[in-house]
Order: sequence, then structure tokens, then C-alpha cells
Amino acid sequence: MRPQVLTFSLLVTVLAGLLAGAPAVGQSPKAGGVLTVAQREDTPQGFAIHESSTVSTTWPAMPCFSNLVLFHPLKQQESVETVVGELAEKWSWQDSYRSLVFFLRKGVKWHDGQPFTSKDVKYTFDMLREAPDATGKLRINPRKDWYANVQNVEAPDPHTVVFHLKRPQPSLLLMLASGYTPIYAAHVPAAQYRTACVGTGPYKLKEWRKGEFIEYVKNPDYFVKGRPYLDGIKYVVIKERGTRVAALQARQVEVAFPGDTGKTTVEQLKKAVPQLVVTRAAENVNENVIMNTRKPPFDNVKARLAVARAIDRRALNQAVHQGGAAVGVSMPSRPWGVWGLLDKDLATTAGYGKPADEKAAARKLMAELGFGPDKPVKVEIVTRAIAIYVDMASFIINELKQIGVDATLKQIETAQWHAMATRGEYQIGANLTGIGIDDPDANYYENFACGSPRNYTFYCNEQVTAMLDKQSAEIDAKKRLALVWEIQKKLEEEGARPTLTWRVDNFTHWPQVKNLVPHNNFYNYGRMQEVWLDK
Amino acid sequence: MKTYIAQRLAIALLTLVGMSIVIFALLRLAPGDIVDVLFSAAGYVNPGEKKAILQELGLDKPYWQQYMDWVRQILVGDLGKSYRYDLPAWQIIKPLVPVTVELAILSTIVAVVLGVPTGVVSAVRQDSALDYVLRVVSLAGLSMPSFWLGMVIILSLVSWLGWIPPLTYVRPTENLWLHTVQFMLPALAVGYRSSALIMRITRSAMLEVLREDYIRTARAKGQGTGAVVWRHALKNAVLPVVTVVGIEFAFLIGGLVVTETVFNLPGVARFLVEAILWRDYPVVQNLVMFIAIVVILSNLVVDLLYGVLDPRVRYA
Repeated sequence: MRPQVLTFSLLVTVLAGLLAGAPAVGQSPKAGGVLTVAQREDTPQGFAIHESSTVSTTWPAMPCFSNLVLFHPLKQQESVETVVGELAEKWSWQDSYRSLVFFLRKGVKWHDGQPFTSKDVKYTFDMLREAPDATGKLRINPRKDWYANVQNVEAPDPHTVVFHLKRPQPSLLLMLASGYTPIYAAHVPAAQYRTACVGTGPYKLKEWRKGEFIEYVKNPDYFVKGRPYLDGIKYVVIKERGTRVAALQARQVEVAFPGDTGKTTVEQLKKAVPQLVVTRAAENVNENVIMNTRKPPFDNVKARLAVARAIDRRALNQAVHQGGAAVGVSMPSRPWGVWGLLDKDLATTAGYGKPADEKAAARKLMAELGFGPDKPVKVEIVTRAIAIYVDMASFIINELKQIGVDATLKQIETAQWHAMATRGEYQIGANLTGIGIDDPDANYYENFACGSPRNYTFYCNEQVTAMLDKQSAEIDAKKRLALVWEIQKKLEEEGARPTLTWRVDNFTHWPQVKNLVPHNNFYNYGRMQEVWLDK
Repeated sequence: MKTYIAQRLAIALLTLVGMSIVIFALLRLAPGDIVDVLFSAAGYVNPGEKKAILQELGLDKPYWQQYMDWVRQILVGDLGKSYRYDLPAWQIIKPLVPVTVELAILSTIVAVVLGVPTGVVSAVRQDSALDYVLRVVSLAGLSMPSFWLGMVIILSLVSWLGWIPPLTYVRPTENLWLHTVQFMLPALAVGYRSSALIMRITRSAMLEVLREDYIRTARAKGQGTGAVVWRHALKNAVLPVVTVVGIEFAFLIGGLVVTETVFNLPGVARFLVEAILWRDYPVVQNLVMFIAIVVILSNLVVDLLYGVLDPRVRYA
């Protein structure tokens, strides 16, 4: 690590007090009580967040862990400005954003009493990026690409960690703040996190009764003094959605599962229990159309563009979400995200104009390819056999029929879905994509970069890849935003993977639950250290 | 009688062997495996990682070898390891069994207590207003799926009372009252449907028996209606009812999927569906075998009961 701080260096110091955040206005937090929280399914990979990509894992596992940094628990919109320290007391970008140095808290203990040191951090990130000398190995490593730009991780002393990067990448800090980026204990085998949890987080695992509940108790040795407020948390697994809603209404659980309360559900709940607190927050999950660019007719950009133009996003939002979702392109627009196109730009993007004009343009494109009402192109639209997917796919089929695309629905069981998509055994599909953070690097490298395993469309454009790299390395926030807007427009022009809507949650809890602020990304606000019960 | 029991046990054993082959084969015929599901939760597939996990779980072995491994494990009392939870399958299955068995027993009791007397009354009062009412009630029971009834009960309770039974399983040793409350409603929902079937079977069997000569003789000899109906007629009409009760009980062990899901009871059936979706072969195979054993045993019990209830079966 270079000792000097260069021109673009930025020193951010975050005191532990900042993390505590402001309590609910006009009320002093009370300690005690056990919070009951709904859980839609048993956690798929136990507490092994690094081996999972679902909120069903992060939501109940986050209270056990700590990150180096985290998005401020009490701020809904996440951005670089809301990143606060957890295991890192402070951090510093050095060497023109090529090194990120973390200064770790002292005296932090793992739940089993072992001391936390920089070795644990190095162990975690060497394992994640699959470094040749990594001492740990993950069975499944879905976010390896997040760390593709990390050259090496150095632990010069027990309380300092340095990430050396191949090129500047401001987004790295945000990735480290995601709920998907906990620090694992170097002395605990990674596989053990599938059945148990040894973290440094505010709560210690008391019991996981498979298929029933996950119960935590307060960690008395938690490194933030006075936290957590709660004595414990109980995540109650309720598979049936109707029963989950009834449980919330009957106050058997005090907090809904994120993303579970759609517009209609929440309207019914509010009618029955007016005092319920409902906050609209983006999930950072979008609905999109995947078109296999290696198979006709979608190997032709005109066919992809025709599909993109044919689907009336606003009508989809009304029909499927009762107006509860947000319309946008590949990055969510304000107020749900910070990178999305402005309304004026969105209005001029293909697929976002007047529906009749868009459909006419789509028909023209199909006609140029030799297809039309007399000679429709027959395609099979695949989707997961889950209601939210099927609803969207059914709507798309109806829209495509209007431009001479004769689509039939094929439902794929969950066990087969990603294998099918990764192998490209489809022509066109209706898909949902969740993104760990509201950040172009996290989204674009994963879903649009050449060769990414989650780039199901096999869209590959070297020019776009160069644009991705350019924005990724850009340190000036304004310049970077402009570059990201250009990328969004380019992706839409090429029908790379048309986004239809961004899902918006109506996060619901009982009023006695305080300081539980949903973020515009449901993967990142499960830590629960600030939450208290006004009982 | 001993020969009879020995024959039944031999047939049961053969059935279990057949079942094990069918279960094993059907699971492998279903597309996808646990590794696909694991990657599904991760949102991508990596062929190299997939191969490594298949090897780790022994799923790369030939099918016959996987089958033999399973049989060998069963014979030494080892149910293998759950792929999903990375724990011994028995550790996963053990707590599920009492929940389902208890619910099935309670539901069967509800069904018998409701079904048999109403069936008898309906037969005795054939074509009366009471008979019509009971037949309509039973038809309604047959027409309403128990899971739908369960959901209606839950929604009605929460709408009217703002209350629902506990959704976290309460063990009887923890709190007997809450435990009873928790099981009462699902047992009623399931038992009502079964009672409708039992009522109809009891009614038709009773109608047949009530027309027999020996019933007329009993009446002619001055026996009271109660004695004729409950002692002579019901005893002779009960054989088909016992058969139905046995079949219903066996069906309930594996057929409570949606009821367990709606009432959030951690039983065998609900877990079985989860395990199938996860392609958690050791858990599925052993749970299905458990259900098969219960079905076979309940059939055996019914067969033995025939012998107890009808001396002709014994002597034959």
C-alpha cells in the first residue's frame, strides 16, 4: 500500500455513532422484546449468503452477520453517500482509486468468542474472488464477478485490510455495503454456514427449526454499544401467502416479508387494520424480456426491437400490478433509484411512446423481416411456473399477437429455469431479475456483459463492454451518470434485454415496530440492529 | 390366524420393495436435480461447480448403484443425508412424523364421531327431513376440499375475531391448550370432509342391513329400536365403514399437504412437497417409504379388524 494519499483520494471517516442513526422522531428507543417476522420459505442455503442470490436467504440471515460497510439502515435510498462503517471504522480510497483501505474495529468478537481480525476479511474476499491461494471455497459462487477487478487483498496488520484493484472502481464500496457481502469467519468452514451461523452481527442464532422458524437472541458482545435494542427476533416460516397475510393481520407476525404485500393485498390489510404502517419501496427487481440473440428471429436486432416496442409497459403495470410498479429501463429511475433515465429521456426511448405508435413501429419492423398478420412468426415464450412470472408472460403474449408474433406459453419448473436459460435453450422468455445494489457495475456486468453466466440472452457488444468499463472506472459522479445514461439508451436501441417494470413493494409492519426502514432494494435492510419495539 | 398375518406381512414386504423401486425411478425421471435447484437459488449455472457438487452428493454414480446405496442404508437404519439441509435425513424427518400422525388421528376421530352416528340416523330415518338435511350436509362436505375449508376458516377468523390459531408449532409438552387449539381447526376441516364419506357409506350399509331378515326377527322378538340399530345392525354394517376409515387414515398421512400448508403445521406432507421441489432424494425417498409403510400397516390393521369383527373371515 502506498502511504501517500494522491490527488483523487478521498478519506471517509465514519464514527460508530453515525451507524446508530436517528431514532424514530420524538421517541426514545426502548430496549427489549422479541420481534416476529414473516418468512416466505425456509432459507434456501441456510445462512450461507455467499452461496445464494435470494432475499429468502439474506432477509433472515443478515442479523447474524456484519459487513465491512453497510448502507445506512435508516435511509431508504441507497447511494455512496449513505454507506456507513460496520466492521470497518473508517476507510480510504488511495492510489487514484486503485486501492481501498479499511481500518477495522478493534475488540470485535465472533459469536463463538474468537477475535475478529483482518485475516477474516482477507479469507472472505479471497474465497469470493477465487484467488489461487484462497484457503476457503464456496460450493456455489454467484457473485464472483463482483470482484473481478480486485487484484489482491492484503492484510498488513490485524486491523487493516487493503483491496488492490486492477483499475479504479468506485462501485466496489457499494458492493461491499450490500446485504450479499457479509464477512465470514476464517476459522469456520464455509459449508458450516449452510446449517449454522457464526457471525459478528447484532444477533446470535438461537435455533433454526427447519421449515418452522429461525430464532435469534441479542448478541451481548455486539461491537456497537447500546445495540441491538431487541432481545431477539423470530422469523416464522409461513409458506402459504394467504396465511402469511392473515398472520400479519392477526399480529402473529409484526413484519411482512419484503415484496410480499402487493397493492391489492395492502389495500385489504389497511381496510382491516388501519394502523398498519405501509411504506412504498423499490425491490430492485425488474421484469424483463429475455431474447436469445443466438437464435432466430431474435438474433436480428429488428425482431428484438419490435418486441421491445410492442409491449405497453404502462398497461402491463395496470393489468398485472394494478399500477403498483414503476416503469423504467435497465436502471431504476427516481425516486426508486439514482441511475435511471430522466422522464424526458424515457419518453423518447423505444417502447415508451404512445402505445399505438409503438405498435405501428413494431409491426413495421416485423414487416421488414418478412413477418406480418398473414405470415406470423411462431415463438414459444418460456417462463417460470410461478404466478408472478406467468401473469407477466400472459400479458406479453397478448401484446406480441398484435404485431404478428404468434407466441405460446411454456412454463418451466424452478428447478429447470436457470439451467435452461444459461444453456440458451429458449427463443424468448419472461424473466425477473433482482440486483444486489442500485449500481451499474452490479447490474450491467452481470446481465449484459459478454460471457457472464447470468447474461441469458448472450447479448455481446464490444462497444457496450468498453462503455461499461469506462463508466465503471469513472470517478467523477456526474460524468459517470452521463455515461450510464448513454449505456441505458444503447441497450434499449439494441433490444438487449428490454426491461418492462421495476417492482415496488408495499412494505408493511405493525406500528409498534420502530426504525425498520425499507430500502429501495430489499436485499440490504435486514440487519435489524436499529429496530426497537414500542410495547 | 398366524398364517394369515404372516401372508399379509410377506405381501407388505414385497409391496415395499416394489414401492422403493417406483419411488427411486420416478424421482430420477423428473427433470432436474438438487444441483439445478441450488443454482436456481443462485441465479446461474456453472458446469464445473455443478459437476463437483454432483460428485460430492454421489449423484454422478450410476442409478443402480445409487439405489443399492439407499437400500443398504435403510437396512442398517441410516436414512442418508438431506441434500438441502446438509443434515441426516432422519433428523429432518423425525419431528415431522408426530405432527402428521396426530393430525391424521384427530381428523379420523372427528370423521368417525361425526360420520358414523349421522349415517346411522340418516339410514334409520330414511327419506325424512332429517335424512335430507344430513345428506345435504354430507354432500357439502364431499364437495368442499379441506384446504379450501381451512383457508375459509382462517380468513373468517381473522376477519371476524382478528385471531387465528398459532402458526408456529406448539408442542404438547410446551403448552397443551395452545397445542389443542392449533390442531382443533385443521382436524375439523379435514375430519368434516372424511366424515361426509363415512356418513354416506354408513348410511348405505345400514340401509342394506336394516332390510335383512335377522333384523326383522330381532324386532319381532321385541328388541328395542336402539338395541336393533346399534347392537345388531351397526355391528353387521360396520365392515365397509372400517375399510373406508382405514383408507382415509392412510390417505391422510400423505394427503394433508395443503391443510398443513394453510395451517402452517410442520408435517410430513407439507415437507414432502418441499423436498420434491428441491429434489432432495434422501428425504423424499424415505418420507414416501414412511407413507407407504403407514398405508400398508393401516390396510393390515383393517384386514385384522375384519377377522375380529366378522368370525367368518377368521374361520375361512
